[in-house]
Amino acid sequence: MSKTGRIKAFVKQWQLQSMVIPGIVWMFIFCYIPMFWLIIAFMDYNIARPMLESPFVGLKHFEEFLADERFWRSIRNTLGMSTIKLVLGFPIPILFALLLNEIRQVKFKRTVQTISYLPHFIAWTIFGGITLNWLGEGGVVNQLMMGLGLQDREILYISDPKYFWWIVYFSDTLKEMGWSAIIYIAAISGIDPALYEAAEIDGASRWQRMWHITIQGIRPTIAILFILAVSGLLGSNFDQIFMLKNNMNLKMAESLDLYIYNMGLVSGRHSFSTAVLFARSIVALALLLLANQASKRLTGEGIF
Amino acid sequence: MINGKRLQKGLAILFSLILVFGLAACMSKESKDTPVNANSNANANSGTKSNNGGTGGSGGEVTVNADEPAWKLDTSPVELTWFVGASWYGHTWGDNLASQHVTEKTGVQVKLEVPSGDANEYITLAMTTGQLPDIITLGSWENAVKKLWEGGHVYALNELAEQYDPYFFKVAGDGTLKWYRQPDGNTYAIPNDSYSPNLMRETGMNAANQTFLVRKDLYEDMGRPDLTTPEGFLNALQLLKDRYSTYKGQPMSPFFAQGNVQYGMTEYLQNLLAVPHEKDGKVYDRITDPDYVTWLKTFRTAYERGLINVDFLVDSDTQVEEKTNNARYFMMIREWTGMTAVNPMLAASENPDSYYIAVDGPRNSRGEQAKLFPGNMDGWMVTMVSKSTRHPDRAIRFLTYLVSEEGQRDLFLGKEGETWEMMNGKPQLKPEMVQLLETDIEKLEKQYGIVDTYWMLRNPVIVNQWRPEKPAVIKQMEDFANRQADIDGAIYKNLDPTGESDAAVAWLRISQNWLEVMPELITAKDEATFDKIFQDFLDRREAYGFQKVMEHRQAELDARKAKMGQ
Repeated sequence: MSKTGRIKAFVKQWQLQSMVIPGIVWMFIFCYIPMFWLIIAFMDYNIARPMLESPFVGLKHFEEFLADERFWRSIRNTLGMSTIKLVLGFPIPILFALLLNEIRQVKFKRTVQTISYLPHFIAWTIFGGITLNWLGEGGVVNQLMMGLGLQDREILYISDPKYFWWIVYFSDTLKEMGWSAIIYIAAISGIDPALYEAAEIDGASRWQRMWHITIQGIRPTIAILFILAVSGLLGSNFDQIFMLKNNMNLKMAESLDLYIYNMGLVSGRHSFSTAVLFARSIVALALLLLANQASKRLTGEGIF
Repeated sequence: MINGKRLQKGLAILFSLILVFGLAACMSKESKDTPVNANSNANANSGTKSNNGGTGGSGGEVTVNADEPAWKLDTSPVELTWFVGASWYGHTWGDNLASQHVTEKTGVQVKLEVPSGDANEYITLAMTTGQLPDIITLGSWENAVKKLWEGGHVYALNELAEQYDPYFFKVAGDGTLKWYRQPDGNTYAIPNDSYSPNLMRETGMNAANQTFLVRKDLYEDMGRPDLTTPEGFLNALQLLKDRYSTYKGQPMSPFFAQGNVQYGMTEYLQNLLAVPHEKDGKVYDRITDPDYVTWLKTFRTAYERGLINVDFLVDSDTQVEEKTNNARYFMMIREWTGMTAVNPMLAASENPDSYYIAVDGPRNSRGEQAKLFPGNMDGWMVTMVSKSTRHPDRAIRFLTYLVSEEGQRDLFLGKEGETWEMMNGKPQLKPEMVQLLETDIEKLEKQYGIVDTYWMLRNPVIVNQWRPEKPAVIKQMEDFANRQADIDGAIYKNLDPTGESDAAVAWLRISQNWLEVMPELITAKDEATFDKIFQDFLDRREAYGFQKVMEHRQAELDARKAKMGQ
């Protein structure tokens, strides 16, 4: 397509094109303008003074957190929890969507789907409280484990750091599985039914159809969500961890976000917090590029 | 072409994701922004302290009189937004008798705002946007308070008062104004529940609320065991385990400490042990006090023997509430003010002796009685007038009215003839209100809005004379705390550095670390391990810069003493 052709096409579709303007404006205001203020990471910013009047201190804040063993502990915890989520958590909504797709009875399918994504709408402040109750001394988990004979007395799961990553993983899966599956279900419903019919006539079994049609059909979706998931490795669900953490499991619970909160925001150290976040963003960008490259090589799919 | 299609599909998904997140972000932004009233003002950002005469307020030109409250000059309707820095505060303005009465009288319609999360963060955020609520009430300990003052976001109350309502100086109390006076000679905030040592000595009133509580029936059934020594403490726990390990089919929780490590197990426990704050004019490092360490070791022994669990270190607020309501705790390091609803309820339950009483808890090796925090000049929360307000005149007059005896009475007692009446020349709550106070506080506050509904400017000296006698199960705890209040201890509260100075960062790292170290101490497998963990903590503390913290505490204490001596 020639350049003038593009411009012509653009002008012709102006109604459609203008729909994207609010999105661009939004991105500009909430994503690009704030980037300028990353500058306070290099200042001793004081909220009581106008922003640009604070003194420059160079890399002071970066040096400070890089020398803090607690920072590195939080990196370990974040990576640990994210890796579990990525390796064990990422396939679950895909499997769930595939299973739902195979259910022929529409009513049952819809009911299961609705029930499974309802927990998503409960805030973590509430769902976290429910989780804590389940894990408490007299909670379901203890009763179940004792009923099954797997433990002989009640365990305060939440007080033992070694369980924490798993509590985070299971509670998150329970809450978000159904919701995350929606995007796959949507992708599956976009597959041309003719493909299935043709495969059926050619004698493909259900497994073969699932493998060769459904999964291939949603491959781009999987790839993109995977790339985004990898770039989010250094992120964590703050609400969730904030609800579930306590002084006893903090060793394994303090994620990078919580570290920023505990060591920065709580006492109003905005420059310090920004510095940590800045460093995190750089690593996240690197991860994103890496995952994109890897995905392109392996599956031929990528964001750019 | 296939690639192009894939790319298109990919982009479509990406954009839909962005849209979803974008919408979510927009929505949360919106909900956060709406409470801040759009009363932008030309003065909002002017950091100068010069008084702006023409602020557009009505009636600013009327002459004011130092002997007459100025709110009477202008009672035209006006709306003021009032931020209350407590996420749990659930009351509204205008839906109950007392607030309607006040609005009718003064013309001021208040719009109460509470933060959905941390009050400090909320105000900090509002400061960056420059749009603050008209009136701000924040915890006196919050570091946003200082920032509001230093950043020129709030009016100096003395300057406002001089211009619009000099009657303020008459009712605000010279002592508190002086206490909050800043080096620039201005006072930016007025506290509630503020007690000066002189006042406490003169009136015998204080705000001590720290108590050591036990469940009455079990304690008496055990023959009122001695809990003041480590041996007695452990014996009582052993007895509980042997004889009363379950209650109503559920396991008992032997011990609870309010505010977890940072409060109940540290400062509060040290107060019970009467650990001094100061020795020979030097601030004392309370955490290394031998008596305190002995008691931490006692808790370790109790844990090792299976006499206590670590539930008190990990339970969420709801879990604590549930255990309290079912009387499942045996001993508690807990403020009695948190028990005012539960105790009468337990006393009225099927097991009427299952309520909590205050008794002598852990004591130091010399057997001295506890030295509890008595309340201080800082008070509880402080109230300020922001420069974002379009009605500084009405705001200061409203505050003056509320801190005056008349305002205190209107909010605490309500309307004469409806909720209170004169008896022997003294205002008194009507019997049905007193009845309601004992049985259904919620209804009392919702329908009438009296007593402690609007505590933002509560002055205990004035309102306590109208307060009805408390039920016996509450009075016992209160009296116990009052008797052990350490009046001279008021000056030592919050000596720690805050903000971003080196000392403050050092203290932040130390105190955050202590939160984790304390549970390790209690769950240490033997005493040698305990000693090692504790020594490691002390070493780490030095490395973080504890010396600077001690210097700060000393300087702060000296400054306070100088202020008190004035």
